[in-house]
Amino acid sequence: MSYIKNLFDFLSAPTISFTLLTVAFPFIFPPSDWFDKKNKQWGIYKLWTNKGAFWIFMSITFFFVIGYFDPYFNLTMTKPDNIPIILMIYSMIFVVWLGMKQAYINDARLDRGEKPEEWNDPDDKVLVWPDLVYIELIALILFMVLLIVWSILIGAPLEEPANPASTPNPSKAPWYFLGLQEMLVYFDPWIAGIIFPIFIIVGMMAIPYMDINKKGAGYYSFKERRVGFFIFMYGWFVLWVFLIVVGTFFRGPNWNFFGPFEWWDPHKVVPLSNVNLSEYVWVKLLNKGLPTSILAREAVGFVTVIGYLFVMPLLLAKTKLKSLFEHYGPVRYSTLMLFGLTMFALPIKMYLRWLFNLKYIIAIPEWFFNI
Amino acid sequence: MNDERYWNINQLNKWFAISSIIFMVSIIWMFIDDNDDDFKVYQRKFRQLEIENEEKKLIAELEAVKDERVGYEEKLTGAQTSFEAKQSQLLDAERLLVESQAKFYKANMNFLNQKSILDAEKFNYETAMLHLHEGDDPAEIEQTYQVVIDKVYTLRLIKEEKEAVMLAIEDQIKEIKFETKIAEDELNSVLKAANLVDRKLKLIDRRKMSLANKIGDIVRDLPILDFMAPYFKVEQVVLPNIKYNVNFASVPEVDRCKSCHLGIDNPDYKNAEQPFTTHPNLDLYLTSSSKHTYEDFGCTSCHAGRGRGTDFTSVTHTPSSPEQRAEWEEKYGWHEMHHWLKPMLPVNYTEASCFKCHQDEANITHADKLTMGLTLIEKNGCNGCHTIKPLESRRKAGPDLARINEKVDRKWVAKWIKDPKSFRHNTRMPSFFGQSNNSEPDDIKRNDTEIYTIAEYLFQDGEKMSRKNDRKYLGNAEKGQEIFDVVGCRGCHIIEPDPNNLPEDHNLTNLLKEHGPNLINLGSKTSAQWVYDWLKDPNEYWHDTRMPNLRLSDEEAKNLTAYLMSFTNPEFEEAESIQMSDEALDKIALGWLRKMYPEMEAKSRLGKMDLDNKIDYVADKSIRYYGCFGCHNIPGYEKDKPIGTELTFEGSKPINKLDFGYIHDLEKTNYAWFTQKLENPRIFDKGKASPPEDKLRMPNFNFSPEEIEALVTTILSFSEDEVGENLLASNYVRDDMVYEGRKLIKEYNCQGCHIIDGFGGQIAENYSSPEYAPPNLNTEGAKVQPDWLFNFFLEPSIIRPNLQVRMPTFKLTDEEWNAIIRSFQYYDNQPLAFESDFHVNTSTTKYRAGKKLEELGACNNCHFYGKEFPKQGAQTWAPNLALTKERLQPKWVIDWMEDPQSIMPGTKMPAPFLPDKELLNTPGAVSDWGEHVVKVGGDRETMLEGLRDYIYSIKGKTDITNEIQQYFEKNGYEFEFDEEDEDEDW
Repeated sequence: MSYIKNLFDFLSAPTISFTLLTVAFPFIFPPSDWFDKKNKQWGIYKLWTNKGAFWIFMSITFFFVIGYFDPYFNLTMTKPDNIPIILMIYSMIFVVWLGMKQAYINDARLDRGEKPEEWNDPDDKVLVWPDLVYIELIALILFMVLLIVWSILIGAPLEEPANPASTPNPSKAPWYFLGLQEMLVYFDPWIAGIIFPIFIIVGMMAIPYMDINKKGAGYYSFKERRVGFFIFMYGWFVLWVFLIVVGTFFRGPNWNFFGPFEWWDPHKVVPLSNVNLSEYVWVKLLNKGLPTSILAREAVGFVTVIGYLFVMPLLLAKTKLKSLFEHYGPVRYSTLMLFGLTMFALPIKMYLRWLFNLKYIIAIPEWFFNI
Repeated sequence: MNDERYWNINQLNKWFAISSIIFMVSIIWMFIDDNDDDFKVYQRKFRQLEIENEEKKLIAELEAVKDERVGYEEKLTGAQTSFEAKQSQLLDAERLLVESQAKFYKANMNFLNQKSILDAEKFNYETAMLHLHEGDDPAEIEQTYQVVIDKVYTLRLIKEEKEAVMLAIEDQIKEIKFETKIAEDELNSVLKAANLVDRKLKLIDRRKMSLANKIGDIVRDLPILDFMAPYFKVEQVVLPNIKYNVNFASVPEVDRCKSCHLGIDNPDYKNAEQPFTTHPNLDLYLTSSSKHTYEDFGCTSCHAGRGRGTDFTSVTHTPSSPEQRAEWEEKYGWHEMHHWLKPMLPVNYTEASCFKCHQDEANITHADKLTMGLTLIEKNGCNGCHTIKPLESRRKAGPDLARINEKVDRKWVAKWIKDPKSFRHNTRMPSFFGQSNNSEPDDIKRNDTEIYTIAEYLFQDGEKMSRKNDRKYLGNAEKGQEIFDVVGCRGCHIIEPDPNNLPEDHNLTNLLKEHGPNLINLGSKTSAQWVYDWLKDPNEYWHDTRMPNLRLSDEEAKNLTAYLMSFTNPEFEEAESIQMSDEALDKIALGWLRKMYPEMEAKSRLGKMDLDNKIDYVADKSIRYYGCFGCHNIPGYEKDKPIGTELTFEGSKPINKLDFGYIHDLEKTNYAWFTQKLENPRIFDKGKASPPEDKLRMPNFNFSPEEIEALVTTILSFSEDEVGENLLASNYVRDDMVYEGRKLIKEYNCQGCHIIDGFGGQIAENYSSPEYAPPNLNTEGAKVQPDWLFNFFLEPSIIRPNLQVRMPTFKLTDEEWNAIIRSFQYYDNQPLAFESDFHVNTSTTKYRAGKKLEELGACNNCHFYGKEFPKQGAQTWAPNLALTKERLQPKWVIDWMEDPQSIMPGTKMPAPFLPDKELLNTPGAVSDWGEHVVKVGGDRETMLEGLRDYIYSIKGKTDITNEIQQYFEKNGYEFEFDEEDEDEDW
């Protein structure tokens, strides 16, 4: 048992779990033919069957059952704040599984030349009352019952009146901001707290304008929309939901990482000396001091960022992504590149931090400008 | 149907019905859950208890009046029968009353109507008379007016007549009913108490309610409707003067404890189960006649906790033992409320709350544990290292080391510092070495070197103690022991070589005995010359010492010295001297230098030091490290600040500021931490890899468990709690000097010899009867004249001639003596500092009667009259009556003679026998009692006054110290004292 627990503790470290998830993701949601081939070869698509659902459900429940009987994880798990997160894990995975299952069924039908399951004769109409609204009413009542019973049995997660002299450690944001709080580990607050949320919101608003794939509208389908599907699922499932799970269960006092079955020792000290890119270049590589002029000092950083965000898409438009550029047009293309590259900057920066202890690519604390 | 529909409507309807029913059930469940508060369960239980209790009371009340009521009931039945006989009379009268009332009503109406007409007419008349026109006849106008007046007059008479008739009939009816009413009233007054209880029962016992009331009683507590007038509700008291600090504001405390603790202020529930049990000591707490009323103090001001809470866990009840904790966790699902700043104090620490209002008092009555803790802090000098603002030290706890080199030698000091208890087993000096974090061989070497250097510093002027003149100062040890036992040393000192013989109980009385050190082993410590000089004049060696001067003669001092020097400790003398190691010296010096200078410079500075410099340097660092100046005055360190944590608000310190270190099995509460710290101060270093300069250095005082509990109570009392000015106890004492005086009394251990405020006087154990011990100072403020007392303090004289124990001469300042005198006066309600002289008129009957009573009473059997010795032997000798006019207050002398035992229990003074009126009327009274006494006629007051007046007129020498001393020098104190004599009533 302790071996399994140690294994979980080891696997759940962000470096390991995030990497595993990122690497496995394109195999689970294959965005290209090569990945699709591997997917079929290794039978990963079988996850989206009823049997697959059973195995997924059992493995998650297995983890939580072990957790319930572990004295440390029990405390985290049964905290009224965190019970909805457990529900979220189950419900999110269920929803994704359901969608993928339907998608695969429809894809098989489309392959056979049939119409997808959801297809109905356009002349067939469905009445709002009672068929739509009555259902909604019943669902509403049943949901109210759920909430009332939940509130009686578990109650609102109110703790005792706060102690103004004692800040909680860790001081965690509400679950919907835990993803951002996790991003704060790797990014400057301006980026993680302001730029990223704005990009997320504006980006989601822009999706309908960037996504001009007319296929897959009104019915489930994976293969007809796999690139978009992959990008969105990665951004949502890995970069948002998974980070919430990490923030809820794997972050402890002083925002240190703790495996689920580790005791949250507030005195744990982990060395975290990170180096800016400018320090790497000027101090470590060139053995000189940092230049006094800011532009000179951060020159490499500027080149990297501008190259990544602006020069690279330009070059790609002319070469590898030429068809995409022509198909999308310059406006759509640049919008897509802006949001897409910024989104992928998050995992890229995370790895730069883990592998090279990189702190900031551009570091100008005098102007509060750090990337 | 289903062609148009996407879903089967019957299915949908079925689901709608099912979900609606489930919804309704869940709503009802929610209502029940919301309204089912725990406190209501307790209130229902208490209602039952109350009903039972009231029923018991009702039975008791009825029992009490059982016999009485019979008589009254008979009277009532008699009255009722006679009333019945008059029934027809009553009916007639009532009928007549109705008629007369109607007649009166009509007459009154007519009268009032006419009166309003008169008012109008008056106006007309006056205006007409004022503006007479041509052809107006004034007489006519007047006539019209007069007619109306007359009419009104007539109607008024009629009305008054009718009224009189009506009133007469009413009186008649009243009279008929009178007898019954009286009888009823009498019966009711007998049954009053029982009726009250019965009425109360009707309010709470549903079985006794009428149907309407029963329904009302149920409806009033229904959900939502219970906003109006519920039976079961939260009971709260708002305390505007007691504040809870939430950092940005201070909010008044609100205590809702009574919602469950319903019987707390009702003495009937002393034996009920919790939470209904009555609070102990209702005379002091909660009731409106007590000093701590519920409306002013509530509950949380003493018990802490979350007053606004209404269920068992959320009010932060704290278990007082691990067993109780387990019990609560099981029974109530109890858990700690981690974020609440002030959880309830466990029951054994409740006295901690007394301090915030009673800060200025030296001994806090009814709070023995807290007083013990405060006393221990004062005696052990905690203030020397830890600043505690409300207890700012008046002096340092340990002796002055400025001239230590005259008293002891270097070797002795080093051994003493290393292990004080090896010399004196119950010394208050704590142990710095041999503790749990410095007992490794390396540590011992280091510590020995530090001790050596400290001793060197203290003896930098060389050793001046020498025993070569000892023979000159040693007298007879046996005689010395006698002196030690009686002259007063035992008021503050013990001599007890065997640690097993010390009293088991560490209570306040036993602490009085150990005010000064345990005087063992002086022969192994110092020289006879030093002891002799000290006994003759303590202030010469140490200006600030509390040890007073016993005014010993040279011979007495020598004898005492011989006795004290006879105690030795050969084991201590033979123990190896403390050695210094050069290696350790270098290491210590380098360690300290490193803290100030970079490595290279530190090493070079060390290289430049010679041995003496190193010793001086290490000595200075060590003294500062261990903080010796916290308890001792050391030359060169007079101004240095205490080295420890400030404890002024230690009770309010958040738990996360206390370093539990690696001691994981300790309960995470502040009192558990304090208890552990006091048991072993160095324990929190366990498991830490600390350099020697960073180790914990609080020394170990070896407190007993009771002492630790008292100290923890006191530490918990140092808090940031805010209490309104009007609640502070010191508000009720208008004079600050009073508290100052009480503190001085404690500081100089007056209660070691004297009973003051009902406490103290333990020295009396050493005498055969309290008569031969220092007097009980009960009523001293009302008893003596303040100017006499002041002079007595400055130069004590003999008052009680046959006492061997001496009032010592204390060196206090004038302010301090005044404070002490003021405090005595305050507690005896004596407000005056100066009084006019008491003049006696020797020509009055009263005076002459007093003179005769004195003669008959033979006061001079025991009392001195100036230089005239008493007639009886030394064992009954009593104070000089010629001194009375200077020393005592006239009013007090009356009280004293009225009943000496009530003022000084155990005194040999009898109350003077005063004849009563009967006795003075017997034949021969004049010859027995004299004509003046007979003339007074048995008035006790006058006789006592006369006797007092006579005493005040007695002439003679007032200070007979010399005469008495000479007598006892010649005759000794070997008078017989027979135990049975005490009871003899002569």
